[in-house]
Amino acid sequence: MGVADGENSSEVGGNSMTKKSLVALGLVLAALITQWSAAEEQEPPDFTGVWTMYLAPGESPFAAFGRGAPALPLTREGQQRRDEYQKLLGPEVANPAAYCVDYGMPSMMEQAGAYPIEFIQKPDQLTIIYEVEGEMRRVYMGERHVPREKRLPTRQGYSEGRWDGDVLVVETTDLTDGVDQMQHPHSDQARIVERFSLGADDKGTKIISYEMSMTDPVYYREPVTAQRKWAPLNGFIIPYRCPDEFWLALLDMRREQLKAGKPVTVRMSDVYKAREAKE
Amino acid sequence: MKRSIFAAAALLSAGIASAHHSAAPFDFTKFVTIEGIVKQFKVENPHTYAVVTVTDAKGTRDVEYEGHSASNFYRAGFTRDSVRPGDKIAILIAPRKDGGDGGFINSFTVNGVTVGFGGLSPSTGKPDASGAATSSAPKQP
Repeated sequence: MGVADGENSSEVGGNSMTKKSLVALGLVLAALITQWSAAEEQEPPDFTGVWTMYLAPGESPFAAFGRGAPALPLTREGQQRRDEYQKLLGPEVANPAAYCVDYGMPSMMEQAGAYPIEFIQKPDQLTIIYEVEGEMRRVYMGERHVPREKRLPTRQGYSEGRWDGDVLVVETTDLTDGVDQMQHPHSDQARIVERFSLGADDKGTKIISYEMSMTDPVYYREPVTAQRKWAPLNGFIIPYRCPDEFWLALLDMRREQLKAGKPVTVRMSDVYKAREAKE
Repeated sequence: MKRSIFAAAALLSAGIASAHHSAAPFDFTKFVTIEGIVKQFKVENPHTYAVVTVTDAKGTRDVEYEGHSASNFYRAGFTRDSVRPGDKIAILIAPRKDGGDGGFINSFTVNGVTVGFGGLSPSTGKPDASGAATSSAPKQP
């Protein structure tokens, strides 16, 4: 029908222009369908879901963390930064999570503690949520980017993603100078490149393969790398955030004052003093 | 040459779930079981908190305990409100290094139901190294 020539024009009313228009329309539709089919075939992998650390049979979770590899190639400045941080931890040997502070990058992606991680993928954004502290990253994709002058440096940095075939490549910059949960220092010059790809193991279980490389001319002599794999979690992310403890303690102390008919004067410093006295 | 960023930090990861007020005070080289009556039992993040009335040679008193995260205990089978004030409880703890009251909860048993890790780490399945966050803790095997 859409390919009829002029000889058949009279059979449908003799309007050759209409026939030609129909031919043209048919060609356009065919082209669109072809394009649509091609686009469907090239649909990027969807990482959406809740994932947990993937371990091959017999594999140790610590082996997956690169246990046994050589020491980090810190520069003198990097070593000093780390040494100072370790002294700051003092005899308490606490860490950020001990105070309900999130891990920061790159620890967040190491799945330290083996808690699950969630990916929510849209064409213009991949949202990554780690269970601990509900720590979150937004990876901007497509045409959606935050202008450089509008980016607020954070412990997670600013991330942009792009597709390299079926591999999602994420570049993270705009980190604050600091030390993450696992005592990896990074300067504000650090740049992290991650590669996410979707596959399956021998049993057909979906697997996300992950590679990370961090370059930091201030604290590292050479790039440092990490690898990880995730498998789907048969379960849910459990709420973890816990920064309300001291706020609630403050309210409790003020409640006691109210009950006693006294003015509400307790301040957060009083909460800290009360905790210190208790310990 | 590229090197793994995870190498030096592996030992630290085990302490994360349980280091709310630091796991440093506890001795993870040995676990002991204490028994008592639950006064308060909060399975919460970043770690569990309990007050148990204990009676032993030192007398009867309320003792505070800390423990693994709610995330870990819920995934290990804990169900909400399954431990209530007045319940008799047995708790497997890493005791305090200073010999004082208290400890770090690894497992607990109430009404014949045990929830926890039997002295193993919830993240590794190996001997609990929550104390690995401390410089004096034993290394992972």
